[in-house]
Amino acid sequence: MTDTTIDTAPPEAPLPSPVRWVRDNLFSSVSNTVQTVAFTAVLLGLLRWVLGLVFADESNWVSVATNMRLLFTYNYPAEQFVRIWFAAGVLFVAVGASFAAWNINPSITLRRIGVSLMGTGGITLVVALITPSATPSGLRTAMWVLGVALVVIAAVVLRVIPEPHRRRVPFLGLLIGVSAIVCAIMWFVPFGDYGFSEGEPTAADGIVASSTRVPWTVLFIIMIATYVAGRGLAQVVSLAPLRRAMIAWWVIGPAFIVFMVLRDPEFDWAHIWSTDLPMAAGFALGGGALIYLLAAPGRSDLARVLGAIVAAAAVFNWVAAFFGWYPMLQKARFSFALAAIAILLVPNFAGERSARLRVAAVWAGFMVVFHWLLTGINTASTLDITAPPFLGGFVLTVSIAYYVMLASFPLGVLLSLARTSKLPIFRVLSTTYIEVVRGVPLITVLFFFSIMLPLFLPSGMGISDLAAVFAGYTVFSAAYMAENIRGGLQSVRRGQYEAADALGLTTVQRTSLIVLPQALRVSIPNLVGQAIATFKETSLIAIVGGFDLLRIANSTIPNQPDFLGQKRPALLFISLVYFVVAYTMSRASRNLENRLQAGQAR
Amino acid sequence: MSIADNALTDEMASRDDMIVCRGVKKWFGDFQALRGVDVTVKDREVMVVLGPSGSGKSTLIRCINRLEVHQEGDIIVDGVELTNDLRNIEKIRSEVGMVFQQFNLFPHLTVLDNITLAPIWVRKKPKAEAEAKAMELLERVGIPEQAAKFPGQLSGGQQQRVAIARSLAMEPRIMLFDEPTSALDPEMISEVLDVMKDLARGGMTMMVVTHEMGFAREVADRLVFMESGDVVEVGTPEHFFTNPQEERTKLFLSQIL
Amino acid sequence: MTLTTTDPNSARARHARPPLWRNTAVLKWFVQIIVLLAVLAAFWFFAAQARNNLSAKGIPVSYDWLDDPANIQLGEGIQTVDDPDGRRLTMSRALWVGMVNTLRIASIGIIAATAIGVVVGIARLSNNWLARKVSSIYVETLRNIPVLVQIILWLAILGSLGKLTVDSGPIPGWVIVSQKGISIPRVFFADGFYQFLSMLAVFAVPIWWVRRRMRRTQEEQGGTQRIGSVTFALSLVAVVIAWFANPVMAFLGPVFDGISDAWAVIPQGLMQAVLSIVAVLAAVTWIRRFLDSRRTPAGLAKLIDDDWFRMIFAGIAALLAVFVVVRGWPGLSSWIINSGSDLFGVIGDKFGDGRGSRPLDAMKPTLSEGRFVNYGPTGLTMTVFYASLFFGLVFYTSSFIAEIVRGGIQAVPAGQSEAAAALGLNRRQALRKVVLPQAFRVIMPPLGNQYLNITKNTSLGIAVGFSEIVQVGQTVYNKNSQTLAVFSIYMIFFLACSLTISFVVNTINRRLAIVER
Ligand SMILES: Nc1ncnc2c1ncn2[C@@H]1O[C@H](COP(=O)(O)OP(=O)(O)OP(=O)(O)O)[C@@H](O)[C@H]1O
Ligand SMILES: [Mg+2]
Repeated sequence: MTDTTIDTAPPEAPLPSPVRWVRDNLFSSVSNTVQTVAFTAVLLGLLRWVLGLVFADESNWVSVATNMRLLFTYNYPAEQFVRIWFAAGVLFVAVGASFAAWNINPSITLRRIGVSLMGTGGITLVVALITPSATPSGLRTAMWVLGVALVVIAAVVLRVIPEPHRRRVPFLGLLIGVSAIVCAIMWFVPFGDYGFSEGEPTAADGIVASSTRVPWTVLFIIMIATYVAGRGLAQVVSLAPLRRAMIAWWVIGPAFIVFMVLRDPEFDWAHIWSTDLPMAAGFALGGGALIYLLAAPGRSDLARVLGAIVAAAAVFNWVAAFFGWYPMLQKARFSFALAAIAILLVPNFAGERSARLRVAAVWAGFMVVFHWLLTGINTASTLDITAPPFLGGFVLTVSIAYYVMLASFPLGVLLSLARTSKLPIFRVLSTTYIEVVRGVPLITVLFFFSIMLPLFLPSGMGISDLAAVFAGYTVFSAAYMAENIRGGLQSVRRGQYEAADALGLTTVQRTSLIVLPQALRVSIPNLVGQAIATFKETSLIAIVGGFDLLRIANSTIPNQPDFLGQKRPALLFISLVYFVVAYTMSRASRNLENRLQAGQAR
Repeated sequence: MSIADNALTDEMASRDDMIVCRGVKKWFGDFQALRGVDVTVKDREVMVVLGPSGSGKSTLIRCINRLEVHQEGDIIVDGVELTNDLRNIEKIRSEVGMVFQQFNLFPHLTVLDNITLAPIWVRKKPKAEAEAKAMELLERVGIPEQAAKFPGQLSGGQQQRVAIARSLAMEPRIMLFDEPTSALDPEMISEVLDVMKDLARGGMTMMVVTHEMGFAREVADRLVFMESGDVVEVGTPEHFFTNPQEERTKLFLSQIL
Repeated sequence: MTLTTTDPNSARARHARPPLWRNTAVLKWFVQIIVLLAVLAAFWFFAAQARNNLSAKGIPVSYDWLDDPANIQLGEGIQTVDDPDGRRLTMSRALWVGMVNTLRIASIGIIAATAIGVVVGIARLSNNWLARKVSSIYVETLRNIPVLVQIILWLAILGSLGKLTVDSGPIPGWVIVSQKGISIPRVFFADGFYQFLSMLAVFAVPIWWVRRRMRRTQEEQGGTQRIGSVTFALSLVAVVIAWFANPVMAFLGPVFDGISDAWAVIPQGLMQAVLSIVAVLAAVTWIRRFLDSRRTPAGLAKLIDDDWFRMIFAGIAALLAVFVVVRGWPGLSSWIINSGSDLFGVIGDKFGDGRGSRPLDAMKPTLSEGRFVNYGPTGLTMTVFYASLFFGLVFYTSSFIAEIVRGGIQAVPAGQSEAAAALGLNRRQALRKVVLPQAFRVIMPPLGNQYLNITKNTSLGIAVGFSEIVQVGQTVYNKNSQTLAVFSIYMIFFLACSLTISFVVNTINRRLAIVER
């Protein structure tokens, strides 16, 4: 990929005069005028209705303000919060670095800024005008002031500054501007400081607590600093390694974050030295050496035979463990299975010395990370938790969505390949899976997994509730993922397959080097769409027993003695949270789509 | 260069037969596209395939590197018979280069990556060596300065030359061309034909489907005329352009010339 | 590397078969069969585990409980308690009530969401700025908030409405909005309805015949016959006649009862034989078709290894099906016999001499004991649970439909309407004859997906306590622990729904499809 920035925005025309604009857009003909009247009525009616819901006498918004921590991190112990902030910091660094790595710097014109300020200001004024009498008077005044201020600023931007449609605000300026506004709101607007202390709600006037505003401010500064540093780095070195590193990070990083957030492992050093480390080293080095040997050209037959033997052994390990003949460690079972797959694939990646070394090194690195993660997951968390489930709220919602996407991706790729394959049995199996899963509602899949999964396992094997639900989500999402990727696969033209065949590539090489890279690029917008859908679907966790945003808003808060029955404010608030996240994602996806299209048109 | 001989008989067939097709038949469902084709291409020979649309030219040429599977008859390429044997298919595919009408370059890879892909992954060459070879080939087809671009940024003629370079990078003994110039604007045709003429002069065994009669007259050692899945006539260019034997050949040539 | 080098001069016999492990056809099928076996083995393994675990708990999978009395609280539906006149609320009946509730909300939801979605979608393309803005705010807001959150929010909003009285609501006595639900007058199928329908079906034949005659005349003689108006007038006459004369059709009741009785006495062995024959015939037909498609005009089929494998597979599948029907699952045949008989019995009950003649009836909402009576001769009431699920689903889905409609209309190239204008069609004609048919083809498939989504999302009723199939099923398995059986019912029900919807959508789409090539 070249580093030319693609300016997708078409040149904007200068703004017409307000009178002219109103005539053209609102009263150009009789039917147009009728529409204007009708939609004004609809807009005002809806707005007034929503405001009535928000500012009704019986809506106690203190219930939301007090429970902010509950909504976002549930029962996570406050004294351990630094870990959440650390994780968030890592995330912000990653975001900043990714922006830099992919050279994302959409600049927008002053005119666009002016128009959106004008729109926001106008809406604020209308709201101030029609908001019901239950609205606190301070708030109403604030709306008036804000609305007028926005309109004035917008007028200045649009009318005083010459040629606003030609002047562009660079991305960095935008980033700093938005961050500054968010921080300024936290530092100066007197929201009040609400919370629980010893189970009793507390309330204080003033600005938000310093334990909230300081970390957020730092986070924004970190993100901007990373972005600037990344851009600077890009001037000096090539972006390709940075991109590769960022992709690897987005795949492994979340696991690392979970590790940070959930675990405070008191390592059992004896076990680590006696079992974990030797096993990891054995698989990484032994497997690496074997792979290095097998990757020599001309040893493909040997590799296939050996691979088949290891695969048989791996299957036997699992069967033996299931029936309790001998309890081989889970990690070893997984590693053997992975080794079998790796050995079977090796002939496709054979080559001269440096290629062989690279394949072996990839395997060794993979094994190290894999063993570390599995160890982490299997180590009991030693966090001191007061209430039983401590994972919940927004954190649960987001992490489930992310991990489901991550886990269902490889599954979806395999299913879509099978469905488009020329081999009939693969096609039938995969089509059956996809259609059955897509034919039933998500909630039944989730029930099935949370109730039935334990029944399907041999006695002695258990699975935690959340893991079962996660498995259900993954199975469900994989089917949709497969359909999205299939669309991409079908867009790869037959000539591409034929050219790859004519060059003598093997099927695996053809798929991984030629077909998938093209198909996935086409599927990206759909996959983002699916990510949004998955994010929204996490709300179903509330039904199967997890404490996600919805469950907290709908049953935890209304059951608190101080806020009995207060559902509406919390529900409206979480609607806003969902909306902000989903809308941001969909906007980003639309931009990405334009970018990709522009890239295609080169 | 072997001298073409119209009356090639079985006794004269020898070690320097690069492609031997005997009685090749191919059905698409119940439609028979090849009805027992017999063609032999000798080492270092350029064979041009002519015929009206739908006569099975592409099908024949695609059977030779197993993009299509023939159902009856034998195809022997450089002494290796094309069967279900995985190893024979691998061997033949890496020895036979193919150039398509629609170029079929990989749009997500740069020109250089397009060319080095197969040498690295199939021939297992070191990257540096493959890239050096690729640059050499790009010199040869006359576009070394385009190495870092993506196929979408090149003109049709340039793309087709990259496609030729990509095939040559595998150091094939045989090159198959399926109407390499049909998708090109007239002014780009000659740049591609020049590259092909160079190749022929260098002694490459080639089988070319084309409607470029000038090229056929100048470069071909022999021509084959096909119609509805049958070989109608085989002969040298003089034979074809001055004195064709079959009625159908005459008709076709009179239409096209 | 040894290669099967061949001398081109030797005879045809030399045609050496490659060794098995290098033969692509063999490898291909070997891998597939291994994977198939692995999948089957995994299935078998999990099924065995489930059976063991369930037997250990003393709850083996069975379907015998379907006839047990339900003893469960159904929020609403065609039957919520044991009928005084004898129809008991069994488990199967309760599940059936749940299915009807699901279908009811899904079908009305589909209609409502389509109506709103089309209006909003067209408004997004309006030349009026405000219309565009308002509709795009509508779409963006609704589709970015999870549907479950919207449903629960609706419940919270409706639950905080005023107490129920006859004159609460915007039009007292007619439209009542309260915390118990929303009630409007309703039109319902009265006793004569099915007789009315069957009479209409009888009239349809001559009307269709007249229509065809007229169309043929029009094709032969040109000009425009008033086909549409004549059909309409005739249909109107038919409706009026059927409205008053429908008791005539009462004789159909005994006829259906007779079919029901006849069906019930089909011996199980016969049904098994018929099913087996159908399976075998299907396989044989498939193989013959397949052979035909491989046959050359000249003579015998040219079969490659793949083709043999396929035909062997089809044969094995048929034998397996026969085995399942005869030995593996005898319940299937008796189920078909019983339910077929029940079906005709139920249809037979819809006809009869005692039935009143009015096919449709209408009623205002009535209150009894402080709550609405929902079924029978009364107003149409949405309980708050129904209403919150309904509003949530409809508004959420309508935002997606709006986007689909907008995308579909925008997908028709501007050149099409320009070409229509150039041919002299006016705006309306251009829209009706050129733009909309093309937009429809783009719109239909994703629209079908949304319909399927509504149907599946009715299962979220479980969150607000609406008695749809999943909620009823959950209550059932919480009572008797027959989880696996209930899940199988879920699956069959929803797969049937999705197959029906995709069948309908595909049929419409095929009708609309421009014949390409
Ligand atoms: N994949 C296929 N399925 C069915 N029929 C095919 C297929 N490929 C080719 N055919 C048929 O086989 C016949 C020969 O096709 P082929 O492409 O070889 O013709 P051609 O001589 O290359 O023609 P052209 O000069 O137009 O490229 C044609 O009638 C074509 O319709
Ligand atoms: Mg062709």
